[in-house]
Amino acid sequence: MVLKPESFILRFSFPMMYIQIMTALLLLSSAVKSQELYVFSEPASNMPSKSIGIRLTNEGMSQGGFVNRTIPEVMIGFNKNLMAHAQGFFSDMDGRYRLEGGSLYAKYRFLSNDNQKSHFRGAAFARLSTSKRPTYTQDINLEGDNSGFQGGVVFTQLLHKLALSGTLSYMQAFKDEEKQQPMMDRPEQLLGYSLSSGYLLLPFVYKNYNQPNFNLYFEVLGKTNPANGRSYVDFAPAVQVVLNSRTRVDAGYRFEVAGNIRNRYTRNMYLVRLELNLFNVLH
Amino acid sequence: MKTITYFICAIALFFAGNASAQQISTAELQVNGLTCSMCSQATEKSLKTLGFVETITPDLNTNTFMIKFKKDKAVNVDLIKQKVQAAGFSVGNLITTFNFNNVKLDANGQGQVGSSVINVLNAKSQVLNGNVKATIVDKNFIPANAFKKKAAQFKSESYASGFGIVNGVKTRIIHITI
Repeated sequence: MVLKPESFILRFSFPMMYIQIMTALLLLSSAVKSQELYVFSEPASNMPSKSIGIRLTNEGMSQGGFVNRTIPEVMIGFNKNLMAHAQGFFSDMDGRYRLEGGSLYAKYRFLSNDNQKSHFRGAAFARLSTSKRPTYTQDINLEGDNSGFQGGVVFTQLLHKLALSGTLSYMQAFKDEEKQQPMMDRPEQLLGYSLSSGYLLLPFVYKNYNQPNFNLYFEVLGKTNPANGRSYVDFAPAVQVVLNSRTRVDAGYRFEVAGNIRNRYTRNMYLVRLELNLFNVLH
Repeated sequence: MKTITYFICAIALFFAGNASAQQISTAELQVNGLTCSMCSQATEKSLKTLGFVETITPDLNTNTFMIKFKKDKAVNVDLIKQKVQAAGFSVGNLITTFNFNNVKLDANGQGQVGSSVINVLNAKSQVLNGNVKATIVDKNFIPANAFKKKAAQFKSESYASGFGIVNGVKTRIIHITI
Protein backbone atom coordinates (compact mmCIF):
# COMPACT_ATOMS: atom_id res chain seq x y z
CA MET A 1 0.00 0.00 0.00
CA VAL A 2 1.30 3.43 -0.95
CA LEU A 3 1.18 5.78 2.00
CA LYS A 4 0.01 9.23 1.12
CA PRO A 5 -0.68 11.02 4.35
CA GLU A 6 -1.27 14.36 2.63
CA SER A 7 -4.08 13.10 0.45
CA PHE A 8 -6.71 13.04 3.17
CA ILE A 9 -6.35 16.59 4.31
CA LEU A 10 -9.61 18.50 4.56
CA ARG A 11 -11.55 16.06 2.48
CA PHE A 12 -14.36 16.49 4.90
CA SER A 13 -15.55 19.58 6.68
CA PHE A 14 -16.48 19.55 10.37
CA PRO A 15 -18.05 16.13 10.88
CA MET A 16 -21.26 17.27 12.52
CA MET A 17 -23.16 14.35 11.14
CA TYR A 18 -20.78 11.84 12.67
CA ILE A 19 -21.19 13.52 16.02
CA GLN A 20 -24.97 13.49 15.78
CA ILE A 21 -25.08 9.85 14.78
CA MET A 22 -22.63 8.81 17.47
CA THR A 23 -24.47 10.83 20.12
CA ALA A 24 -27.74 9.19 19.17
CA LEU A 25 -26.12 5.75 19.34
CA LEU A 26 -24.57 6.57 22.67
CA LEU A 27 -27.86 7.77 24.14
CA LEU A 28 -29.54 4.60 22.98
CA SER A 29 -26.83 2.40 24.42
CA SER A 30 -26.36 4.32 27.66
CA ALA A 31 -29.10 2.32 29.33
CA VAL A 32 -26.19 0.02 30.07
CA LYS A 33 -25.02 1.58 33.89
CA SER A 34 -19.90 2.50 41.38
CA GLN A 35 -17.64 3.53 40.75
CA GLU A 36 -17.05 6.42 38.51
CA LEU A 37 -13.67 7.78 39.47
CA TYR A 38 -12.39 6.55 36.13
CA VAL A 39 -8.69 6.31 35.54
CA PHE A 40 -8.51 6.94 31.77
CA SER A 41 -11.60 9.13 31.36
CA GLU A 42 -13.75 11.60 33.29
CA PRO A 43 -17.28 10.92 34.58
CA ALA A 44 -20.23 13.28 34.08
CA SER A 45 -20.26 14.01 37.81
CA ASN A 46 -18.27 16.94 39.10
CA MET A 47 -16.04 17.29 42.09
CA PRO A 48 -17.66 19.03 45.08
CA SER A 49 -18.07 22.79 44.95
CA LYS A 50 -15.35 24.87 46.67
CA SER A 51 -12.97 21.92 46.67
CA ILE A 52 -9.51 21.43 45.23
CA GLY A 53 -7.98 18.23 43.92
CA ILE A 54 -4.27 17.72 43.28
CA ARG A 55 -3.01 14.96 41.02
CA LEU A 56 0.34 13.61 40.03
CA THR A 57 0.26 11.18 37.12
CA ASN A 58 3.05 9.22 35.52
CA GLU A 59 2.65 7.47 32.18
CA GLY A 60 5.20 5.27 30.50
CA MET A 61 5.46 3.39 27.24
CA SER A 62 7.92 2.09 24.73
CA GLN A 63 8.65 4.37 21.77
CA GLY A 64 11.88 2.96 20.45
CA GLY A 65 13.14 3.00 24.02
CA PHE A 66 11.19 3.49 27.22
CA VAL A 67 9.82 7.00 27.63
CA ASN A 68 7.64 8.49 30.31
CA ARG A 69 5.57 11.57 31.03
CA THR A 70 4.75 13.21 34.35
CA ILE A 71 1.60 15.28 34.69
CA PRO A 72 0.99 17.52 37.69
CA GLU A 73 -2.64 18.61 37.75
CA VAL A 74 -4.86 20.90 39.81
CA MET A 75 -8.65 20.52 39.80
CA ILE A 76 -11.10 23.09 41.12
CA GLY A 77 -14.85 22.81 41.75
CA PHE A 78 -16.24 26.30 41.17
CA ASN A 79 -19.84 25.44 41.89
CA LYS A 80 -22.02 22.35 41.83
CA ASN A 81 -22.06 22.31 38.02
CA LEU A 82 -18.75 23.76 36.85
CA MET A 83 -15.24 22.46 37.41
CA ALA A 84 -11.86 22.85 35.74
CA HIS A 85 -8.49 21.12 35.52
CA ALA A 86 -5.10 22.65 34.74
CA GLN A 87 -2.28 20.30 33.74
CA GLY A 88 1.42 20.56 32.97
CA PHE A 89 3.27 17.99 30.86
CA PHE A 90 6.87 16.90 31.39
CA SER A 91 8.52 14.09 29.42
CA ASP A 92 11.71 12.68 27.97
CA MET A 93 10.08 11.83 24.64
CA ASP A 94 12.36 14.18 22.69
CA GLY A 95 15.57 13.60 24.63
CA ARG A 96 16.11 15.35 27.90
CA TYR A 97 13.24 15.53 30.43
CA ARG A 98 11.53 18.88 29.86
CA LEU A 99 8.31 20.83 30.18
CA GLU A 100 6.51 20.17 26.93
CA GLY A 101 3.19 21.91 27.41
CA GLY A 102 0.00 22.34 29.35
CA SER A 103 -3.75 21.94 29.14
CA LEU A 104 -6.92 23.51 30.49
CA TYR A 105 -10.07 21.43 30.83
CA ALA A 106 -13.54 22.53 31.92
CA LYS A 107 -16.64 20.45 32.53
CA TYR A 108 -20.22 21.61 32.97
CA ARG A 109 -22.87 19.27 34.35
CA PHE A 110 -26.19 19.95 32.63
CA LEU A 111 -28.19 16.91 33.67
CA SER A 112 -28.58 15.32 37.08
CA ASN A 113 -31.14 12.74 38.01
CA ASP A 114 -30.45 11.38 41.50
CA ASN A 115 -32.06 8.53 43.33
CA GLN A 116 -31.05 6.42 46.30
CA LYS A 117 -27.64 4.94 45.46
CA SER A 118 -28.05 5.77 41.80
CA HIS A 119 -27.83 8.66 39.40
CA PHE A 120 -27.86 9.50 35.74
CA ARG A 121 -25.83 12.53 34.78
CA GLY A 122 -24.78 14.38 31.69
CA ALA A 123 -21.99 16.91 31.20
CA ALA A 124 -20.31 18.84 28.40
CA PHE A 125 -16.59 19.46 28.41
CA ALA A 126 -13.95 21.39 26.53
CA ARG A 127 -10.16 21.23 26.47
CA LEU A 128 -7.48 23.56 25.19
CA SER A 129 -3.93 22.23 24.98
CA THR A 130 -0.47 23.26 23.95
CA SER A 131 2.64 21.15 23.35
CA LYS A 132 6.11 21.76 22.01
CA ARG A 133 6.40 18.21 20.69
CA PRO A 134 6.96 17.63 16.96
CA THR A 135 4.01 16.09 15.10
CA TYR A 136 4.39 12.94 13.00
CA THR A 137 1.08 11.04 13.22
CA GLN A 138 -2.63 11.47 12.58
CA ASP A 139 -3.20 10.62 16.22
CA ILE A 140 -4.02 13.50 18.57
CA ASN A 141 -3.24 13.37 22.27
CA LEU A 142 -4.16 16.63 23.96
CA GLU A 143 -2.59 15.45 27.20
CA GLY A 144 1.00 16.07 26.21
CA ASP A 145 1.59 15.44 22.52
CA ASN A 146 -0.47 18.01 20.62
CA SER A 147 -1.65 21.58 20.60
CA GLY A 148 -5.35 21.74 19.87
CA PHE A 149 -8.84 21.78 21.27
CA GLN A 150 -11.49 19.24 22.14
CA GLY A 151 -15.20 19.39 22.90
CA GLY A 152 -17.50 16.60 23.95
CA VAL A 153 -20.26 15.15 26.05
CA VAL A 154 -20.24 12.47 28.73
CA PHE A 155 -23.09 10.55 30.33
CA THR A 156 -22.72 8.48 33.49
CA GLN A 157 -25.08 6.05 35.17
CA LEU A 158 -24.41 4.95 38.74
CA LEU A 159 -26.23 1.82 39.90
CA HIS A 160 -25.25 1.08 43.47
CA LYS A 161 -21.73 -0.37 43.21
CA LEU A 162 -21.51 -0.26 39.43
CA ALA A 163 -20.96 2.84 37.32
CA LEU A 164 -21.10 3.01 33.54
CA SER A 165 -20.07 5.96 31.47
CA GLY A 166 -19.88 6.94 27.82
CA THR A 167 -17.95 9.82 26.30
CA LEU A 168 -18.00 11.25 22.81
CA SER A 169 -15.72 14.04 21.68
CA TYR A 170 -14.34 15.89 18.71
CA MET A 171 -10.77 17.13 18.72
CA GLN A 172 -8.75 19.19 16.33
CA ALA A 173 -5.02 19.87 16.30
CA PHE A 174 -3.74 23.38 15.65
CA LYS A 175 -1.78 23.66 12.40
CA ASP A 176 1.92 24.24 12.96
CA GLU A 177 4.26 23.65 10.02
CA GLU A 178 7.35 24.23 12.15
CA LYS A 179 6.55 21.28 14.38
CA GLN A 180 5.50 19.00 11.53
CA GLN A 181 8.07 16.34 10.68
CA PRO A 182 8.65 16.10 6.90
CA MET A 183 7.27 13.06 5.07
CA MET A 184 5.25 12.02 8.10
CA ASP A 185 1.52 11.91 8.82
CA ARG A 186 0.04 15.03 10.33
CA PRO A 187 -2.68 15.56 12.95
CA GLU A 188 -5.92 17.12 11.73
CA GLN A 189 -9.02 16.04 13.58
CA LEU A 190 -10.30 12.98 15.42
CA LEU A 191 -13.45 11.67 16.99
CA GLY A 192 -12.81 10.21 20.40
CA TYR A 193 -15.06 7.89 22.33
CA SER A 194 -14.92 5.82 25.47
CA LEU A 195 -17.09 3.36 27.32
CA SER A 196 -16.11 2.93 30.94
CA SER A 197 -17.23 0.67 33.75
CA GLY A 198 -16.26 0.77 37.38
CA TYR A 199 -17.11 -1.46 40.32
CA LEU A 200 -16.75 -0.85 44.04
CA LEU A 201 -15.32 -4.15 45.22
CA LEU A 202 -14.39 -3.33 48.83
CA PRO A 203 -15.55 -2.72 51.44
CA PHE A 204 -18.68 -4.87 51.32
CA VAL A 205 -20.02 -3.01 54.35
CA TYR A 206 -18.90 0.45 55.41
CA LYS A 207 -17.86 1.12 58.98
CA ASN A 208 -16.15 4.49 58.74
CA TYR A 209 -14.40 6.96 56.45
CA ASN A 210 -10.98 5.42 57.10
CA GLN A 211 -11.70 2.09 55.48
CA PRO A 212 -9.86 1.79 52.17
CA ASN A 213 -12.11 1.49 49.12
CA PHE A 214 -11.01 -0.81 46.35
CA ASN A 215 -12.39 -0.15 42.87
CA LEU A 216 -11.97 -2.11 39.63
CA TYR A 217 -12.21 -0.47 36.22
CA PHE A 218 -12.45 -1.55 32.65
CA GLU A 219 -12.53 1.01 29.89
CA VAL A 220 -12.71 0.90 26.10
CA LEU A 221 -10.99 3.90 24.53
CA GLY A 222 -11.21 4.67 20.84
CA LYS A 223 -10.29 7.31 18.30
CA THR A 224 -11.25 7.63 14.65
CA ASN A 225 -10.14 10.05 11.98
CA PRO A 226 -13.43 11.06 10.32
CA ALA A 227 -11.56 12.03 7.14
CA ASN A 228 -10.21 8.61 6.35
CA GLY A 229 -11.59 6.13 8.85
CA ARG A 230 -8.19 5.37 10.38
CA SER A 231 -8.78 4.45 13.97
CA TYR A 232 -7.75 2.50 17.01
CA VAL A 233 -9.43 0.88 19.98
CA ASP A 234 -7.73 0.25 23.32
CA PHE A 235 -8.77 -1.82 26.28
CA ALA A 236 -7.77 -0.28 29.58
CA PRO A 237 -8.12 -2.19 32.85
CA ALA A 238 -7.25 -0.38 36.08
CA VAL A 239 -7.33 -0.73 39.84
CA GLN A 240 -7.87 2.00 42.40
CA VAL A 241 -7.54 2.39 46.11
CA VAL A 242 -9.21 5.28 47.94
CA LEU A 243 -7.67 5.99 51.34
CA ASN A 244 -9.39 7.91 54.15
CA SER A 245 -12.15 8.78 51.69
CA ARG A 246 -9.97 11.50 50.17
CA THR A 247 -6.75 10.13 48.69
CA ARG A 248 -6.84 8.18 45.46
CA VAL A 249 -4.20 5.84 44.07
CA ASP A 250 -4.69 4.57 40.50
CA ALA A 251 -2.79 2.05 38.43
CA GLY A 252 -3.82 1.09 34.92
CA TYR A 253 -2.63 -0.19 31.58
CA ARG A 254 -4.04 0.51 28.13
CA PHE A 255 -3.30 -1.69 25.15
CA GLU A 256 -4.37 -1.59 21.54
CA VAL A 257 -6.74 -4.33 20.43
CA ALA A 258 -7.27 -3.01 16.92
CA GLY A 259 -5.98 -0.06 14.98
CA ASN A 260 -4.32 1.38 11.92
CA ILE A 261 -3.12 4.83 12.94
CA ARG A 262 0.62 4.86 12.30
CA ASN A 263 2.99 5.97 15.07
CA ARG A 264 0.09 6.58 17.43
CA TYR A 265 0.56 7.97 20.93
CA THR A 266 -0.16 6.32 24.31
CA ARG A 267 0.21 2.85 22.82
CA ASN A 268 0.52 0.03 25.37
CA MET A 269 0.97 2.53 28.17
CA TYR A 270 0.91 2.18 31.93
CA LEU A 271 -0.46 4.91 34.16
CA VAL A 272 0.03 5.49 37.88
CA ARG A 273 -1.58 8.37 39.71
CA LEU A 274 -1.88 9.90 43.14
CA GLU A 275 -4.80 12.23 43.83
CA LEU A 276 -5.49 14.26 46.94
CA ASN A 277 -8.86 15.89 47.55
CA LEU A 278 -9.21 18.94 49.74
CA PHE A 279 -12.89 19.46 50.47
CA ASN A 280 -14.34 22.91 51.14
CA VAL A 281 -11.06 24.81 51.08
CA LEU A 282 -12.36 27.66 48.88
CA HIS A 283 -14.77 30.14 50.36
CA MET B 1 -40.07 51.67 44.78
CA LYS B 2 -37.13 49.55 43.70
CA THR B 3 -35.44 50.03 47.04
CA ILE B 4 -38.57 48.88 48.82
CA THR B 5 -38.77 45.79 46.60
CA TYR B 6 -35.13 44.97 47.34
CA PHE B 7 -35.74 45.52 51.02
CA ILE B 8 -38.72 43.18 51.03
CA CYS B 9 -36.74 40.58 49.07
CA ALA B 10 -33.86 40.88 51.52
CA ILE B 11 -36.19 40.40 54.47
CA ALA B 12 -37.87 37.46 52.76
CA LEU B 13 -34.45 35.89 52.05
CA PHE B 14 -33.34 36.54 55.61
CA PHE B 15 -36.28 34.66 57.00
CA ALA B 16 -36.26 32.03 54.24
CA GLY B 17 -36.38 28.64 55.85
CA ASN B 18 -35.30 29.92 59.24
CA ALA B 19 -36.57 28.20 62.31
CA SER B 20 -34.92 29.03 65.59
CA ALA B 21 -33.15 26.37 67.60
CA GLN B 22 -36.08 25.69 69.82
CA GLN B 23 -38.04 24.61 66.75
CA ILE B 24 -35.74 22.03 65.13
CA SER B 25 -33.35 20.01 67.28
CA THR B 26 -32.24 17.13 65.07
CA ALA B 27 -32.59 15.90 61.53
CA GLU B 28 -32.16 12.67 59.66
CA LEU B 29 -30.86 13.48 56.19
CA GLN B 30 -30.81 10.87 53.49
CA VAL B 31 -28.69 11.88 50.49
CA ASN B 32 -29.32 10.58 47.00
CA GLY B 33 -26.99 9.98 44.08
CA LEU B 34 -23.99 8.45 45.81
CA THR B 35 -22.54 5.18 47.01
CA CYS B 36 -18.90 5.58 47.97
CA SER B 37 -17.47 6.95 51.19
CA MET B 38 -15.52 9.68 49.39
CA CYS B 39 -18.86 11.13 48.21
CA SER B 40 -20.27 10.85 51.75
CA GLN B 41 -17.22 12.59 53.15
CA ALA B 42 -17.57 15.43 50.63
CA THR B 43 -21.21 15.82 51.69
CA GLU B 44 -20.40 15.79 55.39
CA LYS B 45 -17.61 18.35 55.00
CA SER B 46 -19.98 20.56 53.03
CA LEU B 47 -22.67 20.32 55.74
CA LYS B 48 -20.15 21.04 58.47
CA THR B 49 -19.60 24.55 57.08
CA LEU B 50 -23.10 25.45 58.33
CA GLY B 51 -22.88 27.44 61.55
CA PHE B 52 -26.01 25.90 63.07
CA VAL B 53 -24.80 22.29 62.76
CA GLU B 54 -23.36 20.84 65.95
CA THR B 55 -22.59 17.21 65.09
CA ILE B 56 -23.05 14.89 62.14
CA THR B 57 -23.11 11.11 62.42
CA PRO B 58 -23.01 9.37 59.04
CA ASP B 59 -24.27 5.95 58.08
CA LEU B 60 -22.12 5.23 55.04
CA ASN B 61 -24.16 2.20 54.00
CA THR B 62 -27.46 4.05 53.73
CA ASN B 63 -25.98 7.49 52.93
CA THR B 64 -27.89 8.90 55.88
CA PHE B 65 -26.62 11.65 58.16
CA MET B 66 -27.94 12.19 61.68
CA ILE B 67 -27.54 15.91 62.32
CA LYS B 68 -27.71 17.56 65.71
CA PHE B 69 -28.24 21.32 65.67
CA LYS B 70 -26.82 23.94 68.01
CA LYS B 71 -29.27 25.08 70.67
CA ASP B 72 -28.69 28.79 70.21
CA LYS B 73 -28.67 28.97 66.40
CA ALA B 74 -31.53 29.16 63.92
CA VAL B 75 -31.76 26.17 61.59
CA ASN B 76 -32.20 26.88 57.89
CA VAL B 77 -33.35 23.78 56.02
CA ASP B 78 -32.81 25.47 52.64
CA LEU B 79 -29.11 25.85 53.41
CA ILE B 80 -28.91 22.14 54.25
CA LYS B 81 -30.32 21.39 50.81
CA GLN B 82 -27.88 23.81 49.17
CA LYS B 83 -24.88 22.22 50.88
CA VAL B 84 -25.89 18.74 49.74
CA GLN B 85 -26.24 20.04 46.18
CA ALA B 86 -22.90 21.84 46.41
CA ALA B 87 -21.25 18.52 47.19
CA GLY B 88 -22.79 17.23 43.96
CA PHE B 89 -25.77 15.28 45.28
CA SER B 90 -29.46 15.64 46.19
CA VAL B 91 -31.60 15.45 49.28
CA GLY B 92 -33.56 12.21 49.15
CA ASN B 93 -35.35 12.64 52.45
CA LEU B 94 -35.06 15.11 55.32
CA ILE B 95 -36.88 14.18 58.54
CA THR B 96 -36.63 16.90 61.16
CA THR B 97 -37.64 16.83 64.78
CA PHE B 98 -39.73 19.92 65.47
CA ASN B 99 -40.37 21.01 69.03
CA PHE B 100 -43.80 22.60 68.74
CA ASN B 101 -45.05 24.88 71.43
CA ASN B 102 -48.72 25.64 70.94
CA VAL B 103 -48.49 26.02 67.16
CA LYS B 104 -51.93 26.73 65.70
CA LEU B 105 -52.60 25.40 62.21
CA ASP B 106 -55.28 27.17 60.19
CA ALA B 107 -57.82 25.52 57.87
CA ASN B 108 -55.10 25.19 55.21
CA GLY B 109 -52.62 23.56 57.59
CA GLN B 110 -50.53 26.74 57.78
CA GLY B 111 -48.94 27.95 60.97
CA GLN B 112 -46.18 30.10 62.42
CA VAL B 113 -43.21 28.46 64.19
CA GLY B 114 -40.95 31.15 65.57
CA SER B 115 -39.90 33.20 62.56
CA SER B 116 -40.81 30.45 60.08
CA VAL B 117 -44.05 29.66 58.36
CA ILE B 118 -44.91 26.00 57.93
CA ASN B 119 -47.64 24.28 56.02
CA VAL B 120 -48.57 20.80 57.20
CA LEU B 121 -49.98 18.89 54.25
CA ASN B 122 -51.62 16.18 56.34
CA ALA B 123 -52.99 18.16 59.32
CA LYS B 124 -55.35 21.12 59.48
CA SER B 125 -57.13 23.23 62.09
CA GLN B 126 -55.32 21.84 65.10
CA VAL B 127 -52.78 22.82 67.71
CA LEU B 128 -49.36 21.13 67.68
CA ASN B 129 -47.32 20.53 70.80
CA GLY B 130 -44.20 18.63 71.77
CA ASN B 131 -41.60 16.78 69.72
CA VAL B 132 -42.94 15.88 66.30
CA LYS B 133 -41.08 14.20 63.43
CA ALA B 134 -41.74 16.15 60.28
CA THR B 135 -40.63 15.31 56.75
CA ILE B 136 -39.84 18.30 54.57
CA VAL B 137 -41.59 17.69 51.26
CA ASP B 138 -40.70 20.86 49.33
CA LYS B 139 -39.10 20.82 45.89
CA ASN B 140 -35.54 19.38 45.96
CA PHE B 141 -36.13 17.91 49.43
CA ILE B 142 -37.64 14.77 47.94
CA PRO B 143 -36.89 13.07 44.60
CA ALA B 144 -38.15 15.04 41.57
CA ASN B 145 -40.74 12.43 40.58
CA ALA B 146 -42.14 12.30 44.12
CA PHE B 147 -42.43 16.09 44.18
CA LYS B 148 -44.23 16.10 40.83
CA LYS B 149 -46.73 13.57 42.15
CA LYS B 150 -47.37 15.58 45.31
CA ALA B 151 -47.66 18.85 43.38
CA ALA B 152 -50.32 17.28 41.16
CA GLN B 153 -52.09 15.94 44.24
CA PHE B 154 -52.18 19.21 46.21
CA LYS B 155 -52.51 21.68 43.32
CA SER B 156 -51.31 24.46 45.61
CA GLU B 157 -49.40 27.50 44.37
CA SER B 158 -47.43 27.75 47.62
CA TYR B 159 -46.43 24.08 47.47
CA ALA B 160 -45.32 24.36 43.84
CA SER B 161 -43.12 27.40 44.50
CA GLY B 162 -42.31 27.05 48.21
CA PHE B 163 -43.42 30.64 48.68
CA GLY B 164 -46.68 32.34 49.56
CA ILE B 165 -48.01 35.70 50.69
CA VAL B 166 -48.15 35.96 54.48
CA ASN B 167 -49.38 39.24 55.96
CA GLY B 168 -48.84 40.86 52.55
CA VAL B 169 -45.20 39.77 52.25
CA LYS B 170 -43.79 37.05 49.99
CA THR B 171 -42.58 34.46 52.48
CA ARG B 172 -40.86 31.07 52.32
CA ILE B 173 -43.32 28.44 53.44
CA ILE B 174 -41.84 25.12 54.54
CA HIS B 175 -44.13 22.28 53.55
CA ILE B 176 -44.05 19.26 55.82
CA THR B 177 -45.87 16.06 56.57
CA ILE B 178 -46.12 14.79 60.13
